Amino acid sequence: MSDKELLEKLKNIVTPYVQNKEGLENFDENTDFLNDLKINSANLVDVVLDVEDEFNIEIDNDSMDDMLNVLDAKKIIQLKLSEK
Amino acid sequence: MIGNDIVDFNTAALQSNWQRRGFLEKLFSENEQSLILNSEIPERKLWTLWAMKEATYKAHQRRFKLPRSFNPKQFNCKIISGDNTSVFGKIQIRDCSYYTQTFIEEDYLHCIASQFQQKDTVQKVLSQSTDIRQELILAVSELKKIPQAKISIEKDCNFIPYLVCDDDKINCDFSLSHHGIFCAFVLSLTPY
Repeated sequence: MSDKELLEKLKNIVTPYVQNKEGLENFDENTDFLNDLKINSANLVDVVLDVEDEFNIEIDNDSMDDMLNVLDAKKIIQLKLSEK
Repeated sequence: MIGNDIVDFNTAALQSNWQRRGFLEKLFSENEQSLILNSEIPERKLWTLWAMKEATYKAHQRRFKLPRSFNPKQFNCKIISGDNTSVFGKIQIRDCSYYTQTFIEEDYLHCIASQFQQKDTVQKVLSQSTDIRQELILAVSELKKIPQAKISIEKDCNFIPYLVCDDDKINCDFSLSHHGIFCAFVLSLTPY
């Protein structure tokens, strides 16, 4: 999967939880889920669960720890996909 | 160090489907899950435990100047006593203990966490339309006898807020929270 495809999928996943829709306009690796998109912390778990479903991977607790921005989420998804 | 968390029940019901597969398992230990599922009002118990974890996370992060993380399962909650309006809890993260007091109202709950069992604090819950930062500055101004206009709130590299007066950091322990139509702060009356 290309980086572009992965980011596009990730953007679709986070969109329903985004409270600052303007933050989506410049969605890239530097986008922060909390600071830029204002995703509520209780919804971070929904992002993780949706990522698991979309990519058919399992995100363990240690990986979930770091899923606070696009770059870290991308790295975790790529790692889990490579382990499949 | 102290931390706080506010949960707007109506907003939480709209934002989160706690019954979706995996939701409880990712956030709560087996003990905590059974506390929630065996509760008379599972949602209330769930958000009580969630707020205990969130408020403690803030206190813990400030105490050790930690980078941000999302690891609610590492915060193990125990409810020591309580009823439908107030819950006293103890939270363990690695070898650190924290105490929480949660006040449960009809539309929201507000949880305050501290590493000490007894702590003099002042706290306020207001509607989201209020400028909570200005309310905090007002409280600090009265506590520290500093003019309001000199006080501002900044954030450090770990996104932890701190108070500043004339470029100097104010020695002051506080925490801000907002959710739905509510916002809140807690301010310690003793320096850290």
